[in-house]
Amino acid sequence: MAREYDTFVLEDPASVPEDQELELVVRELTPDDRRYKYRSFYAKALISKSESKYSDILKVRLGRGQLLDTPWSIELIKEVSKF
Amino acid sequence: MVHDGDGGRYLATWHFVVSKDPDTQAINWGMYRMMVFDEKTMVGPVLPFSDMGKMFYGKYVPRNEPMPFAAVLSADPISSLAACAPSPIPEDQLAGMLRGEPVELVKCETCDLYVPAHSEIIIEGEVIPNVMIEEAPFGEYTGYRTSPREKRTVYRVKTITYRNDPIMMVSNMGVPTDEGQLLRSFSLGLEMHKLLESQGIPITGVYMLPESTHHLVVVGVKPAYTGIASQIANLIFGSKLSPWFHMVVVVDEKTDIYSKDEVIHALSTKCHPVRGIHKYDNQVGTPLNPYASPAERRMSQGAKVLFDCLFPLDWPASDLPLKVAFSTNYPQHIQEKVLSNWENYGYGQ
Repeated sequence: MAREYDTFVLEDPASVPEDQELELVVRELTPDDRRYKYRSFYAKALISKSESKYSDILKVRLGRGQLLDTPWSIELIKEVSKF
Repeated sequence: MVHDGDGGRYLATWHFVVSKDPDTQAINWGMYRMMVFDEKTMVGPVLPFSDMGKMFYGKYVPRNEPMPFAAVLSADPISSLAACAPSPIPEDQLAGMLRGEPVELVKCETCDLYVPAHSEIIIEGEVIPNVMIEEAPFGEYTGYRTSPREKRTVYRVKTITYRNDPIMMVSNMGVPTDEGQLLRSFSLGLEMHKLLESQGIPITGVYMLPESTHHLVVVGVKPAYTGIASQIANLIFGSKLSPWFHMVVVVDEKTDIYSKDEVIHALSTKCHPVRGIHKYDNQVGTPLNPYASPAERRMSQGAKVLFDCLFPLDWPASDLPLKVAFSTNYPQHIQEKVLSNWENYGYGQ
């Protein structure tokens, strides 16, 4: 079953590149343990504006939290530690 | 989450962060919002003009040293009130003064900071220099989600201690009025009152409207000399209180500063649309101001404005507009008759 994440896009969503490795902050929306819901992490990932291209769902919010109507999809490559 | 669409779980919105100056050992309690990033990390804005901002960015960061912190969640109400009051009295001492007895403190588990012993939850750790991660957005006291999602100050958590079945207090901020707006309005207004009195300004009162999200302050003054409104604005815009408000309305001593009707009447009749409005650009602001441009928010920059509602002193008495009101223009016996029969006319008290 697809896992769900979300991310905040601060620029024009149309300008976000697809199908190439990006570093972004994502939040877990469907963790196994609900205490981890909204846990954030930096990740290397591939994303697509097609909801079905990658295995997991990526919901997209704009800079002030506005949720876009249509989700994207994401494939996480690895988590990146900043510490 | 406090509001749908926030950048994360805002664990700390009605709390305070304890920190210590590395040189003077002075203790600071301050209310700095904190968002949970992951299981060991919190993040939030520490604005450079704040007490903790001056301490962390002025002393710890240049030495590349982490700053020990303790986040106190759900302390006694007076301690939380003291932590967000802009008083020059150290917050822990102010809390004791207001309570009438000292706040019982207990040493942290991982550092030499002290926290109120009867708090519900204590989060201890270090504020990390030279690493910033993304925080926000958050629905703030202005009634807007304004500040951009940006890289902000990082708190790494070492230990959490708590009472059994702890109670977590949260400020659910938004459009007026909420507890933060009320508290800050009264505490900011009080500090302004003290400042203006200390300078010998013949003020009759200072009132910061909570409905303005403590952005608008009304000052009543006896117009003893020309330029007194500008002097008031310069003093309070030049104080450390100024990032948190930007509008000053100066009215005469006959105006009831606590009456919105009277203040609006004075503003709309006595403030000259050109000569009565004085603008101040390139001032200290905050990223939370909805009116500010994105660039201004990023740099904690703002602007200020004075509305001078005093008639110029060089106008001849014969040219001064005369206020027409029941209390000023009707003969005393008529006023008494009307007031004594008020309920007989069918009106309430």
